[in-house]
Amino acid sequence: MLAQPYDAAIIGGGHNGLVAAAYLARAGRRVVVLEKRHVLGGAAVTEEIVPGFRFSVASYVVSLLRPEIIRDLDLPRHGLDILPLDGTFTPLHPGEGPHRGDGDYLWRVNDHGRTVRELRRWSRNDAEAYEEYGQLMVDMARFIKPILSITPPDLASNDPRPMLPLAGLARRFQQLTERQQAAFVGLMTMSAVDFLDQWFETDPLKATMSASGIIGTFLGVRSPGTAYVLLHHYMGEIDGAFRAWGIPKGGTGGVSEAIASAARGLGAEIRTEAPVDRIVVDGDRAVGVALEGGEEVRAAAILSSVDARRTFLGLVEPGTLEPAFEDEVGRFKFRGSSGKVNLAVDALPDFSCLPGPGEHLRGAISFSPAVDDMERAYDDAKYGRWSRRPYVDMIIPTLVDPSMAPPGKHVISCFVQYAPYHLDAALGSWDDNRDAFGDTVIDRIAEFAPNIRDVIIDRQVLTPLDIERRFGLTEGNIFQGELSLEQLFFNRPVPGWARFRTPIRNLWLCGSATHPGGGIMGANGRLAALDVVRATGGSRRAA
Amino acid sequence: MADSAGRWDAIVVGAGHNALVAAAYLARGGLRTLVLERRDRVGGAADTSELAPGVRVPTLADTVGRLRPSVARDLDLRGHGLHFVAPDIRVFAPQPDGRAVALWSDVGQTVHGLGRWSEHDAARYADFDRLVRSLARFVADLGATTPPDIRSPRLGDALAALRLGRTYRGLGRGDSRTLARVLPMAVADFVAEAFETDALRATVAWRGVRHSFLGPWSAGSTAVLLADSAGNDGGAAGQTVYALGGPGALSEALASAARQAGAELRCGAQVVAVTTRDGGATGVALSSGEELAAPVVVSGLDPKRTLLDLVDPVVLGPTLGWRASNYRTPGVAAKVNLVVRKMPRFPAVEEGWEGILKGRILVAPGIDAIERAFDAAKYGRLSETPIVEATIPSLVDPSLVEGAKRGTHVVSALVQYAPYELREGTWDARRDEVAERALAVLEGVAPGISKLVTTRQVLTPLDLERDYGLSGGHPLHGEMALDQFFLWRPLLGHARYRMPVEGLYLAGAGAHPGGGITGGPGQNAAREILADRRRRR
Repeated sequence: MLAQPYDAAIIGGGHNGLVAAAYLARAGRRVVVLEKRHVLGGAAVTEEIVPGFRFSVASYVVSLLRPEIIRDLDLPRHGLDILPLDGTFTPLHPGEGPHRGDGDYLWRVNDHGRTVRELRRWSRNDAEAYEEYGQLMVDMARFIKPILSITPPDLASNDPRPMLPLAGLARRFQQLTERQQAAFVGLMTMSAVDFLDQWFETDPLKATMSASGIIGTFLGVRSPGTAYVLLHHYMGEIDGAFRAWGIPKGGTGGVSEAIASAARGLGAEIRTEAPVDRIVVDGDRAVGVALEGGEEVRAAAILSSVDARRTFLGLVEPGTLEPAFEDEVGRFKFRGSSGKVNLAVDALPDFSCLPGPGEHLRGAISFSPAVDDMERAYDDAKYGRWSRRPYVDMIIPTLVDPSMAPPGKHVISCFVQYAPYHLDAALGSWDDNRDAFGDTVIDRIAEFAPNIRDVIIDRQVLTPLDIERRFGLTEGNIFQGELSLEQLFFNRPVPGWARFRTPIRNLWLCGSATHPGGGIMGANGRLAALDVVRATGGSRRAA
Repeated sequence: MADSAGRWDAIVVGAGHNALVAAAYLARGGLRTLVLERRDRVGGAADTSELAPGVRVPTLADTVGRLRPSVARDLDLRGHGLHFVAPDIRVFAPQPDGRAVALWSDVGQTVHGLGRWSEHDAARYADFDRLVRSLARFVADLGATTPPDIRSPRLGDALAALRLGRTYRGLGRGDSRTLARVLPMAVADFVAEAFETDALRATVAWRGVRHSFLGPWSAGSTAVLLADSAGNDGGAAGQTVYALGGPGALSEALASAARQAGAELRCGAQVVAVTTRDGGATGVALSSGEELAAPVVVSGLDPKRTLLDLVDPVVLGPTLGWRASNYRTPGVAAKVNLVVRKMPRFPAVEEGWEGILKGRILVAPGIDAIERAFDAAKYGRLSETPIVEATIPSLVDPSLVEGAKRGTHVVSALVQYAPYELREGTWDARRDEVAERALAVLEGVAPGISKLVTTRQVLTPLDLERDYGLSGGHPLHGEMALDQFFLWRPLLGHARYRMPVEGLYLAGAGAHPGGGITGGPGQNAAREILADRRRRR
């Protein structure tokens, strides 16, 4: 028996799928979300990996969750509570830094004055430049932010209408000062290190700032195209009222739960353990999806929040799409480059350069002592091995949200780069290397916090292969496809198909595979849902 | 000197090939033009010099195949004694296993040879060549266009933009989308989309990193490859065209054309400053103390030299001074010139096919080999195993060795990566290492070559800076990378050849469309200078 068809069926209950569902439900559509796993959230998920210890298993901070989404969906009422992360602490080896001795550190905090005083310890020039740089970045972030809400035009199309937002952007560009314009060009084209070199001389400062440019990409801090992400931090800052940088109470799963709750409240139906086997296509249009159990769910619109390769080469019957399009999809690059190590510990790490507990542990702890270290870590990955001395971004969520672990104990989240999905053949598979990789990460941490080995109760090591298996992210790419210049904006995921629609009528993409890419932003799901609403006859109830 | 105040309409600083092109066009446009060159001869990096008695070598650049055809035509360079030789072979890339990749001007011949490597690659080559040509045609059109004025666009800027838009659409839907996708791409990815053979990938990809502080995995290197393929019969194989008598012959022909058009050329005259009044250029000052007046000053020097050395910092202002100082010129290439007493033997060359050595000889065995060579440069080291691209110009141009013993040849080798900024030691102390490492690489494909060398010359990036005035030893007057292209070459807001000092123009490779022996920046700059002059009348 076929049930009454839905207006929209959404494949995948990650944060973008849920956002899309909420917006469609808000426009009066009958929506169902189909999630393969038993939990919602995709990579924005909280799970109890070790009894009593809850982890943001994959994605671990919220960055740039669109304020309009928070507002439209009233997420705080649905339990969203983002706890601020204050500062970035970069520990150094003994003998490094102006203090020398047991080692120094570079500690930047949200309090601007304190950071400038800290920088002055390193370099007077840099302390001065930091203010100027910060102001310029805020200006840039203001200019660039609207791009996140634009649906990219197709440059080869003859329809001028989608170009209009670009014309608006060009006008605003003209109004910038020449210096701001030049900074914008630099941000879009330079490497993070080259860009920062224009202002700063302090090596750990450049290393730590540039680290944000390489997260989730197969690029090094000296690779052109990494400067742009330097802006993300400042974009968060200008979001103002609601903190965009932080860790959600209850882990990143807390964000997903809040969005799901909002979607349900608006009438969306959400099913877990409902793995989609394929998209049912009739002629040139998608009419529904078939679940692995054989059940068919019919819907007027299908939105896939899974990545482009899985959608077009996995869920769609081969031969449905033009070979040229399939080739383009095949060219889209994934190349997961990161791993995750989650630790359950019974005491805090103790840093040689700043012993004991303290405020420095409450923010991000960045293992990025030097630009060369970052670049060497990348060099390893280029030739197919995980970094011998990786970059680690450590967060201790229990210091701001003690509910994540039993009293007195802690969870530690370590994002690790680089861990290339494709290992050199001589190394074997990731299954053979998981433990060695985990040990490498612990060794790296122990260079600065030697007690780490003694405090670990248990650990979870996620290689790119694990990320692929567990979250369905092709090649373990956390952004559903590399955020490299040629895969952004009107090229994401396929040139000419960056407007969420696909060559199959009634099939949309709504995940991180689309503009504006990955991270817990939700912009993709929202833009796609709005397009579906437009294409299928506008809002059916006053929002 | 009041009597000389009105003598010149334009003074050109430097006599590199772009400066000479600009001077020739300006003189033809009726400007009384004076060219001032610091060195004892014209040509800059397009130079032929005597390395041993009776043996002349292409000192820096060795091929001239990218020269814009319209420049050669307009200035009648043939009439001024310039003759080109273009061998059928473009590039010969011997591999460690004794095999070789050969790319010919004839696509069919290339495809035939590639069949021995991979049927797949042989089948794809013609398509790839077509794609490169199609995309490069657009890049060539872009190169001939003065970047539009984005701050206060005039009608001409709008028309230029429209024309470019039309050309872009002329690529067709497929190629136009491909262009937008591949321009910022790493060249290693670009070649991997077409070919499976690593040796072939590297042979093509090399042109995407030549002279750049980029490796094949660096974003934007595809744009460099397309720029290198633009404007002439480049295609996937790239150019290999010699000027008879070496690149210096091109410079001499340009100088002759400029003189014939009425320009005066003076060597041994070092300009130390652009003189200004009320923010406008009034002429130049020489190291001798002499001052020469002209309302138009055209710099063929690189942007850093031009803005930071020649212009008063007060006139330039702190912001532009800061921006100019951040213009990137990280030179990575050294030059090794060898005189050999007889032709070295290359085991990869089959009996009777010695002509295959007339093109570029590239030792770049694989994408990773180039990338690893690049890695060293990131840490301020000379590559252990540098990439070597050599030519043996005496094979096509015996005049280079006509005064030497029979059998003598010259080998001109580009050696990369040799970063300008060394972490250890100085280039003066480490010059020999460049030659030794280059020879070790060449020994791998031509065993015994070292023993044949009778004279050698090494030009490090430091020499390029000191002897040729190239900031950072960068022969392209600054990186050809995504952040220094088109609208923002050399600096956003100053890409239209007009420098921030009224009457001062940039005509060298630091201006759009950038480096290489193309004459493009010089030709474009002269067009803008003459247009400004017409407007002012």
